[in-house]
Amino acid sequence: MTLYAASLGVFFATLWKRARRDQVRLFLKIFVSLMGGALLLGWLMYFFPSGPPKPLP
Amino acid sequence: MTERKPVEHSGRALALCLLAWMVPTAGHFALGRRGRAAVFAAVLVVSVLVGVGLDGELHRVVPGQPLSMLFTLGAMGLGAPYFALRFLLGYQGVAEAAGFEYGTVFLLSAGLMNLLLVLDVWDIATGAKD
Repeated sequence: MTLYAASLGVFFATLWKRARRDQVRLFLKIFVSLMGGALLLGWLMYFFPSGPPKPLP
Repeated sequence: MTERKPVEHSGRALALCLLAWMVPTAGHFALGRRGRAAVFAAVLVVSVLVGVGLDGELHRVVPGQPLSMLFTLGAMGLGAPYFALRFLLGYQGVAEAAGFEYGTVFLLSAGLMNLLLVLDVWDIATGAKD
């Protein structure tokens, strides 16, 4: 997940920005967004456990 | 409002796009953007190697599953490496592998990234972008 976020960050920063400073900024935005979003979603999914529902008592 | 320059040498631009699709990052090399091409090549190589290393799926059309056509088109964006992996090496992925889903995402992303590079080559070749 970290490698994927870093790859996409480098790719889009190089594709869309020319100045080094802008590239670093965009890389950080993409990287932090992907990592933060994944962690946040993972945390939210804690409330929706996987597997079949528990049998009724 | 600035006027856009008319597209010139569109035949050459098309040829460069075809080259960029078949040989990832070759379009940027041909246009003299060697630094950028090297970065893109590194990202694509890492994506494909990780995808294959994790035994991800190299998408192909599955009858009765229309979405598989879209996935296949995306993966085919990788150009020659897709065909080499699929037809020369017979690679297709291992559905039971632990990293199958992650590997599939890496392989599909590599194809989609190369398609974006083809569009970038078009923009540079036609003067719409530096």
